Amino acid sequence: MTITNNTENVVAQAEMVTATIDGFEVSVPKGTLIIRAAETIGIQIPRFCDHPLLAPVGACRQCLVDVEVNGRAFPKPQASCTMPIEPGMVVKTQLSSPVAEKAQRGVMEFLLINHPLDCPVCDKGGECPLQNQAMSTGQGQTRFEGTKRTFPKPINISSQVLLDRERCILCARCTRFSEQIAGDPFISMSERGALQQVAIYEKDPFESYFSGNTIQICPVGALTGASYRFRARPFDLVSTATACEHCAAGCSMRTDVRRSKVLRRLAGDDPAVNEEWNCDKGRWAFTYATAPDRLTTPLIRNEMSGELVPASWPEAIAVAAAGLSKSRAAVLPGGRLTLEEVYTYQKFARVVLGTNDIDFRARPFSAEESAFLASHVVGSTISNADIDSADSVLLISFEAEEESPIIFLRIRKQVMKRALKVGTVAPFLTPGASKLNAMLYHSITEIESFFTNKSLILVGERAAQTPGLLSKVIEIANSSGAKIAWIPRRAGERGAIEAGAIGNLLPLGRPVSNATARVDIAAAWGIASLPSGPGLDTLEILKSAATGQIGALLIGGLDPFDLAEPAIALAALDSAFVVSLELRESEVTKRANVVFPVASVTEKSGTFLNWEGRERGFEQVLKDTTRVSDLRVLTMLAEALAAPLNLRDSVSAKAEFDSLGEWDGERTPAPSEPIVAAPTPSAGEAVLITWRMLLDLGSMQDGEANLAGTARKANVKLAAETASEIGVRDGDLVRVSTEAGSIALPLEITEMPVRVVWLPENSFGSQIRRSLRVTSGALVRIGSEA
Amino acid sequence: MLLKEATSDQMDEIIARYPRSRSAIMPLLHLVQSIEGFVTPQGIELVASKLGLSTAEVSGVATFYTQYKRRPVGEYHVGVCTNTLCAVMGGDAIFAGLKEHLGIGNDERTSDGKVSLEHIECNAACDYAPLIMVNWEFFDNQTVESAKALVDSLRDGEPPAPSRGPDRLPTWKENSAVLAGLNDGHANEGVQAGPASLVGLEIANRQIPEIGEQR
Repeated sequence: MTITNNTENVVAQAEMVTATIDGFEVSVPKGTLIIRAAETIGIQIPRFCDHPLLAPVGACRQCLVDVEVNGRAFPKPQASCTMPIEPGMVVKTQLSSPVAEKAQRGVMEFLLINHPLDCPVCDKGGECPLQNQAMSTGQGQTRFEGTKRTFPKPINISSQVLLDRERCILCARCTRFSEQIAGDPFISMSERGALQQVAIYEKDPFESYFSGNTIQICPVGALTGASYRFRARPFDLVSTATACEHCAAGCSMRTDVRRSKVLRRLAGDDPAVNEEWNCDKGRWAFTYATAPDRLTTPLIRNEMSGELVPASWPEAIAVAAAGLSKSRAAVLPGGRLTLEEVYTYQKFARVVLGTNDIDFRARPFSAEESAFLASHVVGSTISNADIDSADSVLLISFEAEEESPIIFLRIRKQVMKRALKVGTVAPFLTPGASKLNAMLYHSITEIESFFTNKSLILVGERAAQTPGLLSKVIEIANSSGAKIAWIPRRAGERGAIEAGAIGNLLPLGRPVSNATARVDIAAAWGIASLPSGPGLDTLEILKSAATGQIGALLIGGLDPFDLAEPAIALAALDSAFVVSLELRESEVTKRANVVFPVASVTEKSGTFLNWEGRERGFEQVLKDTTRVSDLRVLTMLAEALAAPLNLRDSVSAKAEFDSLGEWDGERTPAPSEPIVAAPTPSAGEAVLITWRMLLDLGSMQDGEANLAGTARKANVKLAAETASEIGVRDGDLVRVSTEAGSIALPLEITEMPVRVVWLPENSFGSQIRRSLRVTSGALVRIGSEA
Repeated sequence: MLLKEATSDQMDEIIARYPRSRSAIMPLLHLVQSIEGFVTPQGIELVASKLGLSTAEVSGVATFYTQYKRRPVGEYHVGVCTNTLCAVMGGDAIFAGLKEHLGIGNDERTSDGKVSLEHIECNAACDYAPLIMVNWEFFDNQTVESAKALVDSLRDGEPPAPSRGPDRLPTWKENSAVLAGLNDGHANEGVQAGPASLVGLEIANRQIPEIGEQR
């Protein structure tokens, strides 16, 4: 029998404090600031520096109110953004106190003394807290007759962020965000007095992955984005609530459009996911959808010339349908689709093609991972709230800041708030990990006394590259009671797992091998039976296609150079009949027999499931588009093959998916693979470790040079011992090579294991899969370039 | 790097005095000035790396305080108080006289590098107004003539002893090291509190017995 301590799970009732604001009684939890308490009863006190997610600072003085405690009035108005409510406090805001009203008007007059009257050309004009509150709280005339202070304008504090210093009112929101939230204090208040200004150190630009948030929270037009500057007036924009398509964090966003063109994206407000923040990739990487190589019409390969030529939709559908029906076909949907689309892909595979040969994984993976996804990921309910309440968090094959920046912010918040214990299994302590005060472990086997039953293990998708690692993680979780959460890099992977776009799973975790599960789904789909054999995985599919056992491939978003073995993928694309559904020209479309141009996220609606499995629905941003979504292409193909999917659009696909219901039958057993020892390098060799940086050569960052300018520079990292072994010093060029090719980059001596080499996976000057054709764990040669 | 080699151990020693290393930022910036004469970019980068701060944070502090110089100052940095009391007692005239005499303006340095001039805010010696500080040492009760004579002797390499403080006038770099917290052994020399500072105390001492009797 287990004795439980129930008090542990009871959320402590906050102690309430009652006070009076403008004559209204208000009860708020102890510690609530006056300005927040006033909000609860609909009283808006003007403010600039105050931000609910930043520590109070009282910098702008705009929120002055009259305060009385225990019958004694403060001799002068107080900043309501720094003073907590106390019992019996009597607060009089500008609404009931002429003194507070006059004080606020005075502060506004001071703030406007040096503020330029350039609202008509300022990006912020029309959505500017200073402009708005000058109207509501200020006065029409200034008594200042001197010359306004000016600065040369604007200055670039990074390639992406511009600073107009004379517009700044020194509220310090940007510097506080950078220090408190992002942990990147690359901007600070410099100089003093009338010349005080936000500044970088001239050699170190504001290259934070979260710099865009400072533009969004700037209450004036001092910080602007280079990509959006002078592009629109806020009142000409049409806004749509959207979800970010980049990583598995699934941030809420707002997408702003002017004349059918996406001009900017902002972080949405979702406390359970991204609070009010997003990363710079989510904010600025959207120009890929309007790149010049965007496909516009269906293409079919002319059998005579071998060229791809434009074709009509009916013709392309007919050719694709004929090719897919002629021989054994398989489906590779990719990891970036919406839940509705990927659900349609797998239904297409099973109903139309009659196969379980479908795998969403367009990246290195393993059979062990397939079992892990089926046993531990599908249906998992571990969420961001588990990070907030964990005793300790261990990151395995997961560089949070690079691979899922908003999860990084969430962990860091707990590290700052309650010194959450964080560990990371990695070859070295990255800047991101050190901002989490993380303990570094070189191997999962050396971790002791880290876990409690309220620990959380966050495993990245790269874990699949280390045989036995996922099994070991499961073993540790089972013995300690820690929870496991798996965090893929791409936005569509969790949705693909839930939808069953993998050989061993039907929708919602039903094992393909389970007859009841198959009957379940066949009944829901109104067909006699489902294919029962286990499906091939991505690599097996490509191998079979290269050797002719599979004759046709239906491919969504896939880049051969994302896969562990690009050569096999290229051979498969060359030999099979390939139907490609793509946004832009790619290695796949170049080799495809039929190409369908499909809609980007702005041209369709749908739902991503983030790493938690949380639905991130989004509306169609560009309403007047004629683009066709993957889902529509598949339904047209299915009809041409006389096996209709009965899915009209994303709404009906989602409705059908939701109607399937949870699987309460047996789950797939967890994998149990032994850890395989890493290869032992001799002198002049090293074990390669690599992962992707947040900002790199990913095709979804194409066309945004300002963003690319803030990417971290690629280098090669070696331990000092390894460097001296091959006779190189810090900063020297080091050449890393395999049979396939080589990469030369400057060396950064790093504290890390001997004869291990690290390179970024897909950065400028370091494209591992294209040049070296290997993955993490491979043995490579290292040597001096000189 | 010269600066790094010259100061690394001293920096560690100063950092060790504080429970949190970032508290050492101000002494370390003075230490940089004691070697370089002013806060150089290398100095900012070294302090940032020593304290685990960003360069922007260190630069923010270095640009906030006027005691940190971003350009070279003279071997003797002359500060003339031009706040209210000193100004009406002759500080404005002294500052104007020195500018003319040295042929330099505010925050400028003579071509021989010996003397630089700055108008400073109150240094808490109003009882000796008008006041001049040379490398933050007091020269009390100045006149235009005495000020000119003072800077002439500084340029001639014969600095007079300050009115209060150490027996010998330290150079800018020497006193920057003192401000960094390094003991130069001159702490107890010279007049500590001069007669004018003690007038109030004497009056109080005379009056307190009477106050006691009244009670």
